[in-house]
Amino acid sequence: MPRLKKSLPHVALLGYLIVVLFPFLFVLFSSVKKDNNAIALNPFGIPKTFEFSNYVEAWVNAKISTYFFNSLYISILSSVVSILLASMFAFAVTRMRQGKWNKILFSLVLIGMLIPNNALMLPIYTIVRKLHILNTHWALIIPYIANAIPFTIIILAAFMRSLPSEIEEAAVMDGLKAPGIFARIIVPLTVPAMVTVFIVNFLGNWNEFLLANYFLSNDELRTLPVGMVQFRDQYQMNYAQMSAGIVYSVVPVIVIYAILQEKIIEGVTAGSVKG
Amino acid sequence: MNKALRNPLVFILFVIPALVLFIMFFIYPIFSSLYYSFTSWNGVSDTVKYAGLDNFKKALGDERFWVSVKNNGWFILFSVCIQVPLIVFFSLLIANVKKLKGLYKTAVFMPSIMSTAVIGILWGFIYEPNIGLFNKVLGLVGIEPVYWLSDERFAMLSILITNAWQWTGFYIVMVLAAILSIPGELDEAAAIDGATGFQRATRITLPLIVPIISVVIMLSIAGAMKAADIVIVMTKGGPAGSTEVMATYMIKYAITNFKYGYGNTIAVLIFMFTLVVTALYQLLFARRNERIEY
Amino acid sequence: MRKSLTMLLSLMFVTSALLTGCGGNNNNAAATEEPATTNEAAATNAAATEEPVSAEPFEMTVRHTQVGADKQKRLAILEDVVGKVQEEVPGLTFKLDGVDSDVNRKEKLRGEMAAGNPPEIFDLFGSPDSKIYAKEGKLLDLTPILDELGIKDKFSNLDPFTYEGKIYGLPIGGSGEGFFYNKEYYDSKGWKAPATFAELEQQLADIKADGKVPLAGASKAGWVPLMLANHLWSRYAGPDVTAKFATGEAKWNDPNVVKGFAKYKEWVDKGYFKKGELGFEYAEYTTQFTSGEAILMYDGTWKSSVFKAGQSGEGLIGKVGFFNIPAVDGGVGDQTALMRDVNNGYGFSASAGEDERQLAAVKSFIKNMFNEEMQLRGLVEDGVLPAMKIDQAVLTENITDDLMSEIVAVLNSSQSSFPAFDSLVQADVTTEISNIQIQSLIGGQTTPEKMGDALQKIQEEANAAVE
Repeated sequence: MPRLKKSLPHVALLGYLIVVLFPFLFVLFSSVKKDNNAIALNPFGIPKTFEFSNYVEAWVNAKISTYFFNSLYISILSSVVSILLASMFAFAVTRMRQGKWNKILFSLVLIGMLIPNNALMLPIYTIVRKLHILNTHWALIIPYIANAIPFTIIILAAFMRSLPSEIEEAAVMDGLKAPGIFARIIVPLTVPAMVTVFIVNFLGNWNEFLLANYFLSNDELRTLPVGMVQFRDQYQMNYAQMSAGIVYSVVPVIVIYAILQEKIIEGVTAGSVKG
Repeated sequence: MNKALRNPLVFILFVIPALVLFIMFFIYPIFSSLYYSFTSWNGVSDTVKYAGLDNFKKALGDERFWVSVKNNGWFILFSVCIQVPLIVFFSLLIANVKKLKGLYKTAVFMPSIMSTAVIGILWGFIYEPNIGLFNKVLGLVGIEPVYWLSDERFAMLSILITNAWQWTGFYIVMVLAAILSIPGELDEAAAIDGATGFQRATRITLPLIVPIISVVIMLSIAGAMKAADIVIVMTKGGPAGSTEVMATYMIKYAITNFKYGYGNTIAVLIFMFTLVVTALYQLLFARRNERIEY
Repeated sequence: MRKSLTMLLSLMFVTSALLTGCGGNNNNAAATEEPATTNEAAATNAAATEEPVSAEPFEMTVRHTQVGADKQKRLAILEDVVGKVQEEVPGLTFKLDGVDSDVNRKEKLRGEMAAGNPPEIFDLFGSPDSKIYAKEGKLLDLTPILDELGIKDKFSNLDPFTYEGKIYGLPIGGSGEGFFYNKEYYDSKGWKAPATFAELEQQLADIKADGKVPLAGASKAGWVPLMLANHLWSRYAGPDVTAKFATGEAKWNDPNVVKGFAKYKEWVDKGYFKKGELGFEYAEYTTQFTSGEAILMYDGTWKSSVFKAGQSGEGLIGKVGFFNIPAVDGGVGDQTALMRDVNNGYGFSASAGEDERQLAAVKSFIKNMFNEEMQLRGLVEDGVLPAMKIDQAVLTENITDDLMSEIVAVLNSSQSSFPAFDSLVQADVTTEISNIQIQSLIGGQTTPEKMGDALQKIQEEANAAVE
């Protein structure tokens, strides 16, 4: 009886685990099957023969490599710049003594968290076009940077507030000015929080679809999510090849997740729990 | 002594870059949307015509718009009534098992790190009527194939299930973090007093995690109000507009129909609805839970 | 607290007022600003050598819609033209940018037009699209170029691309729509292409009874089922009925138009289309036919390119026929009328006209793309009907393909033609019928009568909104 009681939660949890993981396995198996027919005849099982040519064709047809590197550099660049700008802002409003301005500016940014950003797509489109950067990677990088700013500021400000004020008092004694305190004292201390925020921003940018879909029209510029949807629409009928495409787009994320999972989970949940 | 930290010029220099971007991409768009929502601009023309409240009247009188509002509503209802209980249930289970805790936590979180677009494709495959996973499973028990994404009765449900699959694990991990941060003594004390595991979960843990559940609900509402990419990728709003949500309705009008002004009206309405729903929730539910501390 | 809130609000207000102010200015200035910037770009381009025309490298983008396996031939033709133009215009490099046709037409290009940065050369639909863009000065007026090249009269019909007497685009080819049928199957049953509507319906019923799918179906994109529906309502209510919707002379809820919807619905209800077809993309439409699953497919003549060696319909070469919808009982007007369009082709951005070298490239592109040789290649290799006038003798000499000759015979035997609805009604109406109404009809959420009423309501709103 106690044994049964003990294993009951595991049965439920393993059930849930199967629900989560099975779609991945389904796609993985389908990706090495010969064609739709082979998938239809044996949808669940391990494939009898392995057709790796799907992978070759998907790589060529879908230009996964181009999309992949576009996504990678856009996501990294935007995340890094957001953190730089947001940490400067957070430093100023939490550590510099400007009386009420600190509070005013910080509350202003807090409002940003309430705004449903998809609703702002049309005006952002207008801005991007007035800047004459539509159809360049800047059309994504700049909005991505801006989009992440409120969240990044809130997390970094919370972290910086928790640092004892004796730190910069000592630094001021040593003759450091504000930029020096920021660069030499505060930033090194804030690195753990920055890593967390970086991961959150990176994943957000990596997966972003709406802006990437409407702001870029050049095939070479596309990011992975948009490229994948495009690929799906063109090769709709070839599920085996499509599965290979999905595997390509999912594997890097899973690898990153496997390496950094603790950080990622901590990071993604940090914002919401604290907020 | 703190002169270094009182220099307004440096302050301004530190604040300006982020502030400029923030104003450009958050504050200005709100006012810009507001402005164009009162015009009949087609998005191409060089002249912008004032249209008064016409757009608002048209939107509020358009059956299609209400269908999309209703679908956003389904997103909220589905996550609050179905996902949240599941989230709490599984979080409690994971918190109380001793073995494999790490594995469960890692695995359930996995769908949340992936692109909604890719998940939409993956699930489109699972819903495929002829060779998709779902119909194959149903076929095993002799059920006729269901046209998940092309049948108006199932299309919205299919999207909601996919959405739940993606996000449930994310919230589980969040709730789990809250449960694990409850001081162990409380639980131990209750155990000594002879409370069963079930009693401890419902009487001690549950009340303590109410604030985080409240956060989960808030986030679900926010997520529901901006849902768009999952719909675009899976059904493009079809069949017959039955899975349209407000954001996709907005895009359709602003770009496909040359009605930029009207699209902005929808943006303003999305914004207003979000505020109303959030405020309602705060007033009705969040208030009384606010002050639970441990 | 209160003070800071007021401060905050006023700060927000001031900054955004400033920004909106700038935005407003930009907006008014957009018309003048845009050529200015392109001029600047041209100037900086040219400044390096101080010569207006030079071999200084420059780039132009061609947005085409030849994506996917079935459009390889068309892409090859475009690539050849692009190659020739690049040889003729020193320094020019073309960037080819392929986007799905429907996505380009309804999302990409519309967005880019609004943004004022369309590609220099792009796939363009004639009506109503080119008229809207032309009205706003976004398109290059091609009239002088056509005069210079002396090909203005070579086109069979430029109406869809003409606005206020000027020509803003050139059709790449024409198309006609009708039934492709599986001859092998028909022969095995001892059937011929139906001569009467009753015969057609009998065949549909028999195919169904035989356990096959009578008609290919893929209605995820509304325009696919609408090809057939459009032809049906035009049979019942007259070939010119659709053109009269926008002028108010005819109504969508006219009993004869509704009869067309009702016939479509009847075929749906009888199970003549593949089940679950509302969720299928256009690509699957062809697959249903080429795999032999569906016996008939209502599609445009462009589809004939699939039945060529190396293409997806290779297995059906010589086994596919084409026929027009037979006359319906009580139909209005010419019952042989075919749905024909010369509505798709290329347009050029107004900004390309500001730069001498880009203009030269546009001229060269037109010269190399729109000539008899390319039109014939399009016809022979790709099944695209010529948009330019070509001598009948030359045509017959060049057509070696059975299916193509059958198509040409069908075209020749029809006494009149009418364009598809989407070139005749406003974008709103097109969206309503293709995104909502036709799918509702197929899905059983509306009736033919309700559909007519709903469309008429949108039509009247759109007619009233004309500025």
